[in-house]
Amino acid sequence: MKKKSAGSIAVMLLVMIYLLIPLVISIIYSLFKKWTGILPEGFSIGNYASLFSDPNFLASVGRSVGMCIVPILLTIVIVLLALFVTTIYFPKLEKYVQIICMIPYTIQGVILSVSILSLYVGNKSVLSNRMVMLMGAYCIVILPYIYQGIRNGMRAVNMVTLIEAAEMLGASKIYAFFRVVVPNIISAIIVSSLLAVGIIFGDYVLIRNLAGTSAPNMQIFLYQTMKSDSTKASAVFVIIMFVTFVITAVVLFLKSREGKNRVQKK
Amino acid sequence: MSYIRFENISKSFGKNEVLKNIDLEVEKGQLVTLLGPSGCGKSTLLRCLSGLETVTSGKVYLDGKDITNVNPKDRDIGMVFQQYSLFPNMDVAQNVAFGLKLKKVPKEEITKRVEEMVDIVGLSDHLHHYPAQMSGGQQQRAALARAMVTHPKVLLLDEPLSAIDALLRHSLQVEIRRIQKEMDITAIFVTHDQDEAMVMSDVIHLMYKGKIEQSAAPTQMYTQPISKFAATFIGHYNIMPMEDFQKLTGKQADAKDVAFRPEIVEISTQPIEKEGYLTMKGRVFVSLPHGNVLRYAVLCGDKQVDVDVLFKKATLIENNTDVYLSFKEDDCIFL
Repeated sequence: MKKKSAGSIAVMLLVMIYLLIPLVISIIYSLFKKWTGILPEGFSIGNYASLFSDPNFLASVGRSVGMCIVPILLTIVIVLLALFVTTIYFPKLEKYVQIICMIPYTIQGVILSVSILSLYVGNKSVLSNRMVMLMGAYCIVILPYIYQGIRNGMRAVNMVTLIEAAEMLGASKIYAFFRVVVPNIISAIIVSSLLAVGIIFGDYVLIRNLAGTSAPNMQIFLYQTMKSDSTKASAVFVIIMFVTFVITAVVLFLKSREGKNRVQKK
Repeated sequence: MSYIRFENISKSFGKNEVLKNIDLEVEKGQLVTLLGPSGCGKSTLLRCLSGLETVTSGKVYLDGKDITNVNPKDRDIGMVFQQYSLFPNMDVAQNVAFGLKLKKVPKEEITKRVEEMVDIVGLSDHLHHYPAQMSGGQQQRAALARAMVTHPKVLLLDEPLSAIDALLRHSLQVEIRRIQKEMDITAIFVTHDQDEAMVMSDVIHLMYKGKIEQSAAPTQMYTQPISKFAATFIGHYNIMPMEDFQKLTGKQADAKDVAFRPEIVEISTQPIEKEGYLTMKGRVFVSLPHGNVLRYAVLCGDKQVDVDVLFKKATLIENNTDVYLSFKEDDCIFL
C-alpha cells in the first residue's frame, strides 16, 4: 500500500514537472538578457520594467481582461434567461435551444470570423465596430460551454419546485429564479466561466481576423513582440499566465468563501 | 357561505381529463383531506387552488372572492410540498423569513415572527442550519414554518409526509394537527394514506378518477362507505357479490355487492346462533399478525373472507380448521 502511494506521488511529481518546465523556463528566460549556452547570462528585470512602462502593453492587458469578462457575463445572462423561459414556460422548446447552443462547437474560428466580417463590416451601426464584433464572436464561441455548464447545474436542483415554493411565498417567477435558483447553481456558473476564460485567453484566430492590430490585446502584443525580442516575448507570456491565474484565483476565492459561509454557520 | 369553494372545476392535460366537474366546499378553520389513489386528481385539485395549475373550466372562490385567475403569489396561500422544497442556499431562519421579506415586514418583526414560528415547530436549535444539514422530518417542519409564518388564508399540504419514515410520520401527523388547531388555520391535506386521513381530518373527500367519490367525517367514511371503491379504499372491507353472499348466508337483498369489515366478524369453531346475526361456514387457510390484530383469511366456498381478532394466544385457531363466521346483519353494507 505504502509502495503504491509512493509510486503515485512519483507519477504526480513527474507530471507536475512536465507541466511546469515550460513555465519555469519562460520565467527564467524572461529574466535574462540572453540564453545561448548552458546557463543564461545577464540577469535583468528590464523586460518587465519596459513592459509595465509601455502604455500599449498596459492597454492590451486591459483589453484582454475586458474582452474576457464582458462576453462571459453577457453569455451567462442570455443563457440564464433563455433557460428560465424554456424551463418554466416552453419546456418543449428546450431541445431546440440546446441544438442552437451546441452549433458553435462545430464552427471553426476562421469560418466564424470571416462570416461575421462579411455580415457586419458594411453595417453603419455599432455592429461594425471591430471590438463589438469580437465580443459578439466570443459570445458565440463560449456559448456551448456556458450553456452546458448552467444546464447541468439546473438539472441538479429541482428548479420548477423551488420556483413554485417561492411563488407561494409571494415571489414572482423571475425574482424566484434569480434569488433562489441562481444562487444554487453558482458553482456551475463559475466552472463554466473559468472554462470560457481559458478559451478566450487562448484565442488568436478571432482577434487576429476581427480586431487585427487596430486594438491589440495581449495575444497580439505577444505575437508582435516575438518578432523583435524573444526574451521580452517570454515576459509577455509570463504576464498572460499571471493574469489568467489571478482571474481564476479571484473566482475560486469567491466560490470558496460562499461555501465556507455555509459550513461556518453550521 | 363556505370559506373555500370549487365550482364545477374541470382540468385536462391534453386529452387526459384529470378533474371532472368537481364541486367542493371547505369551512373556515377545518382540516380537510383529499384522499385517493395515485392519479385520481387530488394533487391537481390542490394545485388549482394554489394557482400553480390553471383550471380548464370552473371557478375557485376563497373567502368570498373569485381567485380563479389570480396569480399564485397574490393568493395569500401557504403550501408545503412533498419534497420539502426548502431553498438550499438559505438556512432555516432565512427560509422562514423569505415570505415575510417579500411582504416588506419590518426587520425586527421578521426576526420575532421567525423565532416564534420556528419555536412552534420545535426547530429553535436549528435556526441557522442549512437544509442539507437536517433530517427529512426537520426539513418538513421548517417547510411548515415557512408556509405558516405569513399567516396565509389557507395552508395546503401536498403529501408532506410521504417521504418520511413511519414512526416520525405518525408524530408529525399529530404535530401538524396540533399546530393547525393552535393557529386556527384552514388547511387542505392531500394524501393517499387512509390511516393518515383518518387521524388528521375534520372532513375527508375521497377522490376517484377525477371525481369526488364521497365526502364525510372520518368515522362516517369508515363505517358508511357509499360505493364499492370507497369500501375498498377506506378500511379493509370484505366485498362479495350479492349472489355469493346469498348462497353462503341465505340473506336476500336488492343489491349488487355486500361489504362488511373484518373486525365485525366473530370467528368460532362452534356454530354461533344469535338473533339478528348472519352466519357462514368456512375454513381458515392462513392467519397473519398485524401488530395487535390477527387477521384470519377464511375460505367460504370459493370466496375469501378476512376476519380481524385481537391477538390473544388463547384464541388462536390453527390453519385448515373448519370455522363459523357470524356478524350482525345491521353491520353489512349493501351496495
